[in-house]
Amino acid sequence: MSNLLIISLAAAAVFAIAALGELLEQRAGILNVGLEGVMLLSGTFGFIAAKTSGSYLEGFLVALLTGALVGLLHGFFSITLGSNQVVNGMAIWILGFGLTTYIGYPYTGPLGLQPFPTIAGFPVFFLVALVLAASLWFLLYKTHLGLKLRSVGENPSVAEASGVSVTAMRYLAVVLAGALVGLGGAVYSLVYNPVWSYNYLQGWGFIALALVFFSLWNPFLIVAGAVFFGFLWQLSLYPELLFPNVFSRYIWRAMPFLITIVVFVILSTRWFRLRWGATKPEALGVPYQRES
Amino acid sequence: MRAVIGGYAIRIERRADVRWWQTALASVLAILVSLFLVGIAFVRVGADPLEVYREIVNYAFLSQFGLPQTINRATYVLLAAFAIIVPLRAGLWNIGMPGQIFAGTLAAFGVAYAFGAKTASATELPGALVVPLMLVAALAAGAVYGAIAGFLRGRFQVNEIVTTMMLNWAMLWIVAHMIREGGPFMGRTAEGEGFTLPTSLRVPQAFGLPVTVYATVILALLLTWFLAKTTLGYRIRTFGESPRAAEYAGIDATRVSTLVFALGGLFAGFAGFHYFLGVPGVYKIPKNYGDLGDFSFYGLITGLIARNNPIAAIPVAILFGGVSGGARFMQGKLRLAFGIDYALLGVLMIMMVAFQALAQFSLRIERAATVAATQVERGESRVESPHH
Repeated sequence: MSNLLIISLAAAAVFAIAALGELLEQRAGILNVGLEGVMLLSGTFGFIAAKTSGSYLEGFLVALLTGALVGLLHGFFSITLGSNQVVNGMAIWILGFGLTTYIGYPYTGPLGLQPFPTIAGFPVFFLVALVLAASLWFLLYKTHLGLKLRSVGENPSVAEASGVSVTAMRYLAVVLAGALVGLGGAVYSLVYNPVWSYNYLQGWGFIALALVFFSLWNPFLIVAGAVFFGFLWQLSLYPELLFPNVFSRYIWRAMPFLITIVVFVILSTRWFRLRWGATKPEALGVPYQRES
Repeated sequence: MRAVIGGYAIRIERRADVRWWQTALASVLAILVSLFLVGIAFVRVGADPLEVYREIVNYAFLSQFGLPQTINRATYVLLAAFAIIVPLRAGLWNIGMPGQIFAGTLAAFGVAYAFGAKTASATELPGALVVPLMLVAALAAGAVYGAIAGFLRGRFQVNEIVTTMMLNWAMLWIVAHMIREGGPFMGRTAEGEGFTLPTSLRVPQAFGLPVTVYATVILALLLTWFLAKTTLGYRIRTFGESPRAAEYAGIDATRVSTLVFALGGLFAGFAGFHYFLGVPGVYKIPKNYGDLGDFSFYGLITGLIARNNPIAAIPVAILFGGVSGGARFMQGKLRLAFGIDYALLGVLMIMMVAFQALAQFSLRIERAATVAATQVERGESRVESPHH
């Protein structure tokens, strides 16, 4: 049982880090529904780098860089070209799915490195996620830069009028966010489940995206939600720990996805929707064009 | 944006409106550039990409074995595209085709199972009675599974992208439950795949193709008529253009979004019925069903390239049905890694979005002399809104 909890935190780290990245860019007004694609690309390239070089450090660096670059690409479409952000996100996801399926295939199988170190069995990256959540909260709500980042997500023309470059802020957000999401992808493919296979990410990027919608853009609620989903996921893998002999193991695997939908519905109370509407970055998903 | 280089000025501006031929040209360019980029994979193994593409075309469109395969795959892609197009007309994203496809497929096999198809010998079953029942079950199950996302979107504003994706993954495991490790639909001999349909319960063929192919062409026409000419179609479009305006016009958001997703799911269910019950050599839920489910994402790009037009989607689906199948064929021949067709899908998708976005801009090169004049004009017209 305590094992179940600890490994749940390892899973939670992946959800949390990726969702924190998405939170950051959503706060600056950029919606990337293609988290799954960013995580697949950075997770796969990180995996290949680590497997061929034998170094975790190299794997993580490649993943961070990949994430930042993919974030930049999504940013270029969404900020400079100003096209529909949902379509752009879809494109990033399909690009990630398609490319990694082909490029990763020859590397199918385990990573083949020593398992990533833990702190007396405790997953390191859960601590990283906690630190990131706190730092992100501090950055967004306690610093001048954070104020600028948030202002371009709320009312870009007012921000621009008060001397904030919307373009610069949004690019900063997408690159940082991309790197964070990329880290999340690498934590999955290098630490949590270091085995590459077809579509190995199993929709985790979409669950992380869902987390951001649940969280009311609060970094700490993201971590809490991530723990819940991490636990749910582990339980679906080892249901016999709590519910022996109920359903086949395949039906259990379907559970986290169905429960995500149920949570969505339960949360969709009038109260939550009002709060959600009030907290939502006003300009989320809206392209901004500077008056030239 | 303006840059002056050696007496010439390059101006990049947002077009006021994008003409249809400009988007069409952008799509064609996107397809060509993607084929070029994927050609790199062929160059890397020492093949001549032009030669490879010639072989792909020969195989997919000109060979006796490849052509029916292309048509069958294109039908599947086209139906998946309809599953995207209908909700997208209402401004909603259905990426739940794999889930809806297998909901339909499982239901159809469920009817067959109920009639004892797993055990009875082929001749005992009245196909004329059971096959229509299987079809109805497939359509209904696809529609219901699709409608879930639409209803939740309309009623609770739950993000439909997340919901449909969650339903995909849930269905993937439900299928695994049904066909693996003693699941009710497990085949008698092979481990990990569904039972094979007896001959009498397969989709009948006409002129060497399952009748579902012809039905899909008719569906394309019906769908076009429905979207363009009926009140419901008009409501869907109004809702897609402005949900708020639609609300004032008395259009119920929950009903519209449930309807478009049910309709989308119905097409997806039919795609499953076509592919897993109609294509020669399949007639079962195969081991690689997840891969075949993901193949339906070609429907997404088909719908986007066809700009939500069911008729325009037909040639696009034929192209992708052929190229993807041909690419798989060459993948085997050249001993490439699995998934070259998915690499093409990914590259296509990003190129399509890039070119469609670029089509919104015009690029003009002028002599610097004329630039001064246009600048004055630009200085005067500063009334555009910050929100595009």
